[in-house]
Amino acid sequence: MQENINNKIKDALNSLDGMGQASAKPFFFTRLEARMQKERNTWEKISSFFARPAIAFACICLVIMINAAVIFSSQNTHTNVTGQNDENATVDEYSQVSSSFYEFVNTKP
Amino acid sequence: MLKKKDREAFKIIVETWQDMVYNTALGLLQNAEDAEDTAQEVFMQVYDSITTFKEESKFSTWLYRITVSKSLDHIRKKKRKKRFAFVQSLYGKNDELLNDPPDFFHPGVKMENKERAAVLFKSVEKLPANQKTAFILNKTEGLSYGEIGEIMKLSSSAVDALLQRAKKNLQINLKEYYELSIK
Repeated sequence: MQENINNKIKDALNSLDGMGQASAKPFFFTRLEARMQKERNTWEKISSFFARPAIAFACICLVIMINAAVIFSSQNTHTNVTGQNDENATVDEYSQVSSSFYEFVNTKP
Repeated sequence: MLKKKDREAFKIIVETWQDMVYNTALGLLQNAEDAEDTAQEVFMQVYDSITTFKEESKFSTWLYRITVSKSLDHIRKKKRKKRFAFVQSLYGKNDELLNDPPDFFHPGVKMENKERAAVLFKSVEKLPANQKTAFILNKTEGLSYGEIGEIMKLSSSAVDALLQRAKKNLQINLKEYYELSIK
């Protein structure tokens, strides 16, 4: 049985020997041209859509708004951090140990 | 001429090389429709990027490279689709893509070898991409080790080693197949 399997494997491995070349279906170039035309049309439609003045202007406005939002938000973060640092510096400078009015007044038990 | 996007020059190029491109894609993809689709994509890329062809290598080598890379891309996309279909099937949606593909009969194979070749192609499908490429270029296109090496950017000895490994793996796959079919 093992010999039978080995023969089958050998035959299968040799089954492509002397094979011919497969050919593309007739009118391949016509179909290729049609597809290229179709894809070109799609791209043309997309590019002409973005080339419309209203769309182009809206896109530019959107980009400017996003940029402005990013700049504004980063400035805010920077201001907050600076304010906190100033506060800490004042506390250190005057060595404020007690933080509430009651702690300062109620010294007697 | 083609670099100036001349239609007639492009037509001559397509008609000269279409069978070579189609046959290579068919060997790798084992599906006539996919091979036609890929062959069209190959020529579209040729048309778009002919200006970047530096004539350092032969035109056929460049064409083979594009064909192999497009075919392997197609296989990867198909695998991704299969995986997605598997996930869908878990939720009770369509699972027709999960079914085993039908046996592939290459039109160039001799009549008496059709069945055996179909079994061999099924085993070839399981090979790693580089072994599959070397095997198909060698068997279906009849290219020498040197030519395959140029296409795959490998030395002839590396191609030889790749084909030895491919044959070893095919023997293992075929052994499994025939043992199962006898049981």
